[in-house]
Amino acid sequence: MNLSGILVLVPPEQTQSTITLLHTFPGVQVYHQDPDTGRIVVVQEAESTGAEIDGLKRIQALPKVLSAAMVYHYFEDEDEILAGIPPELDAAETLRNNRVPPFLAQ
Amino acid sequence: MTTTRRDFLKTSIAAATAASVGIPLSQAVRAQATKANGDWRWDKGVCRFCGVGCGIMLATKNGRIVATKGDPDAPVNRGLNCIKGYFNGKILYGKDRLTQPLMRMQNGKFDKKGKFAPVTWDQAFDEMERQLRKTHQELGPTGMAIFGSGQYTIQEGYAAAKLMKAGFRSNNIDPNARHCMASAVAGFIQTFGIDEPAGNYDDIEYTDTMVLWGANMAEMHPILWSRIADRRLSTDQTRVVNISTYRNMSSDLADLEIIMRPQTDLALQNYIAREIIQRDAVNWDFVNKHCVFATGPYDIGTGMRATGKFAFASEQDIQAKELVRTLDKFEAVAQRKKAGDEVKQENRGSAGRHWTISFNDFKKAVAPYTLDFVAELAKGDADESMDQFKDKLKQLADLYIDAKRKVVSFWTMGFNQHQRGTWVNEQTYMNHLLLGKQATPGNGAFSLTGQPSACGTAREVGTFAHRLPADMVVFNPKHRARSEKLWKLPAQTLNPKVGSHINKIMRDLEDGSVKWAWVQVCNPFQCTANANHWIKAAREMDNFIIVSEAYPGISAKVADLILPSAMIFEKWGGYGNAERRTQLWREQVPPPGQARSDVWQVLEFAKRFKLKDVWGEQKIPGLKSKGFQDGALPDVLAAALQMGYSPESTLYEVLFANADNKKHKWPDPLAKGHDNHTVTALGDSWFVEKALFEEYAAFGRGHMHDLAPFDMYYRDDVRGLKWPVVNGKETQWRFNEKYDPYVKSGSGFDFYGPALKALPSGDLDVVTNAKKTALAGKAKIFFRPYAAPVEQPDDTYDLWLTTGRVLEHWHSGTMTRRVPELHRAVPTALLYIHPADAKTRGLKRKDVAWIESRRGKIKAIVETKGRNTMPKGSVFVPWFDEGVFINKVTLDATCPISKQTDFKKCAVKVYKT
Repeated sequence: MNLSGILVLVPPEQTQSTITLLHTFPGVQVYHQDPDTGRIVVVQEAESTGAEIDGLKRIQALPKVLSAAMVYHYFEDEDEILAGIPPELDAAETLRNNRVPPFLAQ
Repeated sequence: MTTTRRDFLKTSIAAATAASVGIPLSQAVRAQATKANGDWRWDKGVCRFCGVGCGIMLATKNGRIVATKGDPDAPVNRGLNCIKGYFNGKILYGKDRLTQPLMRMQNGKFDKKGKFAPVTWDQAFDEMERQLRKTHQELGPTGMAIFGSGQYTIQEGYAAAKLMKAGFRSNNIDPNARHCMASAVAGFIQTFGIDEPAGNYDDIEYTDTMVLWGANMAEMHPILWSRIADRRLSTDQTRVVNISTYRNMSSDLADLEIIMRPQTDLALQNYIAREIIQRDAVNWDFVNKHCVFATGPYDIGTGMRATGKFAFASEQDIQAKELVRTLDKFEAVAQRKKAGDEVKQENRGSAGRHWTISFNDFKKAVAPYTLDFVAELAKGDADESMDQFKDKLKQLADLYIDAKRKVVSFWTMGFNQHQRGTWVNEQTYMNHLLLGKQATPGNGAFSLTGQPSACGTAREVGTFAHRLPADMVVFNPKHRARSEKLWKLPAQTLNPKVGSHINKIMRDLEDGSVKWAWVQVCNPFQCTANANHWIKAAREMDNFIIVSEAYPGISAKVADLILPSAMIFEKWGGYGNAERRTQLWREQVPPPGQARSDVWQVLEFAKRFKLKDVWGEQKIPGLKSKGFQDGALPDVLAAALQMGYSPESTLYEVLFANADNKKHKWPDPLAKGHDNHTVTALGDSWFVEKALFEEYAAFGRGHMHDLAPFDMYYRDDVRGLKWPVVNGKETQWRFNEKYDPYVKSGSGFDFYGPALKALPSGDLDVVTNAKKTALAGKAKIFFRPYAAPVEQPDDTYDLWLTTGRVLEHWHSGTMTRRVPELHRAVPTALLYIHPADAKTRGLKRKDVAWIESRRGKIKAIVETKGRNTMPKGSVFVPWFDEGVFINKVTLDATCPISKQTDFKKCAVKVYKT
């Protein structure tokens, strides 16, 4: 499970309409807002890192959003970090066998 | 996870996020936020990645980092993090982390053709020592080299440089920062006589005009970009200009976007200078008081080898241009010569030579850079109309010249990685100085940095082949004498001959003049241009290559010995960012397995050599220096004996664990319970990082580079300090009397840098009066002409190739590709190409294409949309992905003054696989 704190910046007059839109997104909760400066703080809960990134991209793609940046991230001792390493980077085997990886060949 | 705990955490995350931008919270929320993470230990740190130097807060529990957040108290980032910064904690925990030394072995002993097998640290050091003794015997101090880094901590860089220069008397240490900001350094030294920017990041909030020259800040400096965006959106009059060779993410916010042909920035700047003069906008008060005009030779080559002996057959034509160039029609106008003239590159070895000229000569030199001439030369998008492009150039000049506007120019690799990188840096100062818009709040040419301690370590400590700490250089006898005094070395221990820069170390491996090389905190076999040569040299020549690494990147894979290194929060350290801010951190968690800090590796290796091994007479081929016998460093053992050293003393005892340093005891109360694995592993009881920092700081204190006391950086209320720190006070704007304690009182401005401040005088072509005039306190306004790139698209290789980074990955991806979120965000490097260029090659989006140059070829996936929009005739491929090894394709031409590689332009063909 992933939890991230995201700061959303919109033109001040778009604060309320953006909050309404944000509430329709899965796992997104609006915690704080500053209508004077158009800053909105949301926390997003996502099942996977893929969903986490997709969620951020979805917010960034909203028409009035000037920027949406992850400010805070929580992760546990997660197994996830041990998974998903791309095979071409999983080089321990290559090293021990002294294989020349294909990209090093001319 | 229980619902209650999840709610606690969410409240806590929301509170931290809100606090980062100063949104007020109720007391109740604050209390809840504290409760959620009561058993975490929080401490301040600094981001591992780019040169911005964002402050982060790190939470640890049971020896692991469990959370990170932007530090709300950090003035750089005010609580924000970019997507990479946000994952600082996760880079430590990749599955393939190196945790034990690995050596190529066969039949129980080292064999260059053997397979990697685990060995003990003792076995590793034994082989390193044996190999170094062999090389030292054969080639002397110049047969060894260290690949250093702009990501070294201050202490790591200092320890490595001292071991090489004071211990082994070798100047063959040079950082990857050579690829990153050497042109910026040369520009600073030649213009101001001292390195690093006058201003600071607060210039963003003081200015109303920001011009980006070859700096895609939206991706590469995202936190500064958020400050720029905030400034642009909150004040109507603010204008942002993005000058680039293709449309990138920074254009989204920009008011004015200028797409130029590669290397024509040299002409754009001279157009602005010409306009300043034509419109009578020179700030004569400022220029007369504080500046002189200068120029230098044009026939300086492009930093390639002078011989074709090592070039592939397909490279011979470009290599031959190193010695003789034929001027094209644009250069003819720009350099006041004839098209077709063959120019022998006579000043290849003296590219930095320069002399003062008159204002009238300067005016004559920029006169050909009319709007018509420059627009025809520089227009970079075939689909843009000439009228529109000209109008944009006029707007650019207007923004600079408008007396009511403050202007900041930002640049990074577009300028620095450039065959005339030093020149184009100097040209930015040219325009700011002509206008007097320099070194005041909101006004200034601001060189941004790529790496987290390119300034703090590579430049300030001086881990370059020519440098000593605090802007001193090895070829200056006074600088050597001062360093020998501070380091307590016998006179003439230090080697006066400049060592090999990083590209040359690679060439030295190829031609066999370096046979022992140690790679520290960098990945040079991925990041050096024209890589096929260097990988072959590493694997096929008789040499021994050691790579200290955290993950198996390309350099580790081509090594003979891999040493497992501790990563950033597994050791004590410090970085210096692009605004002169020095920031130090504590060790947060222990390194995994047998991984150890680079400081420990250097100091432990230093135990294996005695003075008698290295301080006798040494041959240095080509050494020629006053007071030295040609080709040799003298025996200084007798003098050492008089100073109280024994020939049997080890380099560890003499250079590091000496009486002065041992005064700094470990443990120290400022540790607040944090560990120090370096001290433990050394089996000693002195506070290594504190001692090295204080010893190093002695070079700069009172010499324009004052650092604060070590302890001050660890105070809870300090978030780094901008040097010079004089009487406990940091310096906001240098060279300006109002802010800088080094400025002579009553002068207003004082460009007090001492280097290259006595010059002969002449006209635009030659020196006419060799007598040198002192230029104390002055900055130089250089005339530098347009010069064409050495390799340009032709019938065979018909496209420009430029390379760079992406937001989600740091450099060669060894760390960020271990973070699943970042890897998934950008799993592979794409070939960005104009849809029409793809179509004529039978390619469409998502196809796989070959990208081939005279030097090599690789495959990548075609992208015709996305974050970069290429003009026709140009392609872009990022370099983070070792599976898309673009540096096999790039050209190793450099700026001949700075020796920095031009990664931004070469010619390629693209075709279907």
